[in-house]
Amino acid sequence: MAVEMRLPAVHKHISLAASQSNQDDKHLVVPGDVITSDTGFMRGHGTYMDEDRLTASVAGEVERVNKLICVRPLKTRYNGEVGDVVIGRITEVQQKRWKVETNSRLDSVLLLSSVNLPGGELRRRSAQDELAMRDYLQEGDLISAEVQSIFSDGALSLHTRSLKYGKLGQGVLVFVSPSIVKRQKTHFHNLPCGASIILGNNGYVWLYPTPGQQDEEAGGYYTSMEPVSLSDREVISRLRNCLLALAAHKVLLYDTSVLYCYEASLPQQIKDILKPEIMEEIILETRQRLVEHEG
Amino acid sequence: MRDIPLSNCERRFLLKAIEEKKRLDGRQTYDYRNIKITFGTDYGCCIVELGRTRVLCQVSCELVPPKDSRPTEGIMFFNLELSPMASPAFEPNRQSELLVMLNRQLERCLRNSKCIDTESLCVVSGEKVWQIRVDVHVLNHDGNLMDAASIAAISALSHFRRPDVAIQGRDITVFSPEERDPIPLSIYHMPICVSFAFFLQGSYLLVDPCEREERVKDGLLVIAMNKHREICSIQSSGGIMLLKDQVLRCSKIASVKVSEITELINKALENDRKIRKEGGKFGFAESMPKERITTLKRDEAPVEMTDVKETANEIVNRTETPTEAVSSPVLVAMGTAQVGEGIVNSWGLDEDEEDEPQTEDTKTDEVLVISDSEEEEVVILNEEAQKSTKPSKQK
Repeated sequence: MAVEMRLPAVHKHISLAASQSNQDDKHLVVPGDVITSDTGFMRGHGTYMDEDRLTASVAGEVERVNKLICVRPLKTRYNGEVGDVVIGRITEVQQKRWKVETNSRLDSVLLLSSVNLPGGELRRRSAQDELAMRDYLQEGDLISAEVQSIFSDGALSLHTRSLKYGKLGQGVLVFVSPSIVKRQKTHFHNLPCGASIILGNNGYVWLYPTPGQQDEEAGGYYTSMEPVSLSDREVISRLRNCLLALAAHKVLLYDTSVLYCYEASLPQQIKDILKPEIMEEIILETRQRLVEHEG
Repeated sequence: MRDIPLSNCERRFLLKAIEEKKRLDGRQTYDYRNIKITFGTDYGCCIVELGRTRVLCQVSCELVPPKDSRPTEGIMFFNLELSPMASPAFEPNRQSELLVMLNRQLERCLRNSKCIDTESLCVVSGEKVWQIRVDVHVLNHDGNLMDAASIAAISALSHFRRPDVAIQGRDITVFSPEERDPIPLSIYHMPICVSFAFFLQGSYLLVDPCEREERVKDGLLVIAMNKHREICSIQSSGGIMLLKDQVLRCSKIASVKVSEITELINKALENDRKIRKEGGKFGFAESMPKERITTLKRDEAPVEMTDVKETANEIVNRTETPTEAVSSPVLVAMGTAQVGEGIVNSWGLDEDEEDEPQTEDTKTDEVLVISDSEEEEVVILNEEAQKSTKPSKQK
């Protein structure tokens, strides 16, 4: 069995001129940095008063709204907002609701009244529906849902009241940081390379083979267990490695960036994408194309 | 902060692998991970590494009044703590089920088995006895905390030395370690816990489960035994039903493992004692491997070596023979060729001859032109055949 070896090498620091212009406006701080000594400001999240100097308690960017100063951290657990698309895993089945783990500080809640009944009926949930909860979603199942509201303690309330949300079938789940996923109009994309992607705002990205034809009555209930073809699997594996490469270099994830990265990685073998040198090449090319695309 | 829940496919993969008698790290069903026992500079401080699970144990003593029901016996106090350092799933100051189970099992294993002679801890009957306090801290959780904790506790107790006391009537003089050598505790036997994890309703069992295996287990059987084949305690949790012969088989396996581990502990104690007597350096700092920046060291990873020779021969036969480097005239362009490199003009040594670096390496596609020409650039005619023009090295 051949074992591959590499010697440690110096990493080149990639910094494009285009990104430099954005850097100057941002006020980045680390925990312990003094933001201001002016006492006229109100302190928001991520700050504390240290002998009447406003100091940052997290590493991130300083945001100022009139008299309120807060620090938005770069790496944080997912803070939900109404309307976000999230992907989560069921951890508990309770009375009339499911607890979903979504990479946030508290487990999110999916109420029984917020899911579609099989067959698309519209009626009040009965006791029988409660007993049949486990037939629909069990512990360990993956779902895609939308944030309906936020409880006072910060827990999210999810709903799957649309045909595009529901239980997820065969595919690959990739964990990235929530701050890397770009907020867009739609988070469900059918990529032209032959796979589909759901970019959850909470940092969970789901890759799955594009479904053949849309089953209207199925809604979120039917998960196809047919074997996925080898070509689809290769596309999904390549996409997964590209996502990890993009996340390692902190490139904002959205459909265009994922697609460009996929195309830039085509000359490489799938397993080589995760090697640091090759990752840098691919990301450089992706970044250049993105800059041209915007400009 | 809870751990990320295990995905369904990972769970299925682990169970399927166990059905096929394969483990994630390549061990056999009854194999333990590498156990490493190190002692600190103080007596009674011990760190045990079971694979990646690390547990620290510290033993200390104090003179206290004895319990009313047992005025002639010393007191043993056990405390096990799970700090968030061990795993993100552990929260500080939270009384979880795992914590209670570990504490109870440790107490049962060490106190109820009467491995320490508590009568010898009595100083003045009814007034002063030694209270031995055993604190176990989990530094890293990678499965099987119970075994690691019990090994650490008994090693630390064997390593510990209590101060010497002299009694004159009702006066007690406690001597410091400098005045009189401290005395070891009198330990009758060494009880050690061996954990068995059961999967798929008790059909498969594994010894020393790692953290992933523990997550998918159905039940756990912990047998505390000493090397004289005496069972000190048995505990079964998880609600699985075990057959009589399964339990007997486990106890046989446990006796083998316990004798190996006891020998390991005794060897480690003996090493430490020898080093201390010779006056060498001892303690945790000495037992840690030196991390030098210039060397790269990783743990040996077992690699499957079957058919290595055949595959190597195959690869060698399949590759082509490397092309030989032939020094031939380099065809620069049509009608222009260069044979060899030529040597630098050694006439007329000028001041700037010293800073002319002589680059000897020429590749066959790059043309190193050394000429006396006064021109800045040597251009070869017939440029379509020429790949690149190189500025000449001026003499």
